[in-house]
Amino acid sequence: MQIYLPIAEVSVNIFLILGMGGGVGFLSGLFGVGGGFLMTPLLIFIGIPPAVAVATEANQIVASSISGVLAHWKRGNVDIKMGVFLLIGGVIGSTFGVWLFTFLKTLGQIDLVIKLSYVMFLGVIGSLMFVESLNALLRAKKAAPPKRKHHNFLHALPFKTRFRRSKLYISALLPISIGILVGILSAIMGVGGGFVMVPAMIYLLGMPTAVVVGTSLFQIIFVTANVTVLQSVNNFAVDVVLAMLLLFGAVIGAQFGARAGAKLKGEQLRILLAVMVIGVCVKIGLDLTLTPDDLYALGTMGGH
Amino acid sequence: MKGILSLLAVLLCAFPALADDLDVDLSKPDVRLDVSFKGSDLLLFGAKDLAGDIIVVVRGPSHDRSVRLKERVAGVWVSTDEVIFADTPSYYALATSRPVEDLLPESVLKAERIGTDRLALNAKYTSGAVTHGAVPNFTDGLIRNMVKKNLYTGSPGTITLIGKQLFRTDLWFPANVSVGSYAVDTYMITQGKIETKKTTHIQVHKVGIEAQIYNFAHEHALIYGLLAIVIAVVSGWSANAVFRKKG
Repeated sequence: MQIYLPIAEVSVNIFLILGMGGGVGFLSGLFGVGGGFLMTPLLIFIGIPPAVAVATEANQIVASSISGVLAHWKRGNVDIKMGVFLLIGGVIGSTFGVWLFTFLKTLGQIDLVIKLSYVMFLGVIGSLMFVESLNALLRAKKAAPPKRKHHNFLHALPFKTRFRRSKLYISALLPISIGILVGILSAIMGVGGGFVMVPAMIYLLGMPTAVVVGTSLFQIIFVTANVTVLQSVNNFAVDVVLAMLLLFGAVIGAQFGARAGAKLKGEQLRILLAVMVIGVCVKIGLDLTLTPDDLYALGTMGGH
Repeated sequence: MKGILSLLAVLLCAFPALADDLDVDLSKPDVRLDVSFKGSDLLLFGAKDLAGDIIVVVRGPSHDRSVRLKERVAGVWVSTDEVIFADTPSYYALATSRPVEDLLPESVLKAERIGTDRLALNAKYTSGAVTHGAVPNFTDGLIRNMVKKNLYTGSPGTITLIGKQLFRTDLWFPANVSVGSYAVDTYMITQGKIETKKTTHIQVHKVGIEAQIYNFAHEHALIYGLLAIVIAVVSGWSANAVFRKKG
């Protein structure tokens, strides 16, 4: 059954979209990630214009993050103060990111930048995660978890603030800069940015793992909401019909994913996720480096 | 198809003398982009006086179009040179009862812009490195891309002549058509010249909920964005509530 999307202006199979929502939702429930980094390339792959894919996915992430944060909220796993500082950076970063997106669109380089960002971030994070989880698998039971570093140059920064829930006393500049970086990624790549923020919170800030996911989801809600509004106003690129279809599939998929995830070990999950991240990275990398079918392409301007 | 032909026959009997030597009509006056739109067929049919041939050209609303050349930079394919063509039809369909080259001299085909290779696109902007001689490559690239999107007819469609007076052809509007007014030019050709030219219009427009969402998103972009968030918040919240109850 085909459905014509009012903003994307293409006709798509409704079951394909629901299935993609369900599949990515399953993975996001399984791994505890937002899944934007998988969904946005998939949407582009089935012919949704990249600008619409990025903007619409931001809207969908608002919903899935709310659905996810509520569970963490009840267990008290959200550090609101830290979230607010990340958010200040996030709003600055995503506003700048949407401006950059619009600017690159007029230059005709937005597709390239989206793809390069994917290759770079997925490549780095996928490889790090792969190595880390493989090591963890190999020396499981042998060694104790590595100790967090307590003093490095990051602790010499000014504006020190106490974060009670995270049991940290660090410079407020740190979460703000991480927020800015993730906000830019969120606007350009159509992702929540959890896959960048979670490692940054653990390894750079030294936050306890328990509060990391909840706090990152909390922040992602507001950043993606900001992206949604800005993309609507600047690029008219948010397709609510597409977002709702994706959402419907995703919430159901996520529940099954979470149940399946409970049966697997942490390291196994991380290694699977790493393989998938690297897979998406290689696919996009090939698109960039293989000779295209046609060297001439239509640019984006004047009508559709 | 038989039904339409008999309908045509009835119409012809009812009006034995044609008001003009060429009459054209469409099976529908417009193309409606609604929720279930996945492309649309439109039947163009007509009657003519003489034993002439028929050419039909359909043009969608014109826009500026940018074409970019990809070049390999440090191993990665990057868009570099750009040409912007003014007033490029967003849709171009050609149908004919015989190859157009057999019907009209090249000069007439060019003047009437019959055929995708005779669109005479006007490059209004070329980026620094594009030489004058390279522009045709961009024109060809544009046409190739539009043909691939099914927005331009690659090879001309056929017009079926039924007897000496009736003709018909199917026009295909794919799911990615732009909205606007489409001009349909029907030419009757005898002995290498245009005997009659008739122009009609097809409206392509969004209807129903599609039109409402699209217009709202463009006219009240801020409220649209905020509503998109409200929808997301409510769905996220209720999804959580539903599944919490289930277990």
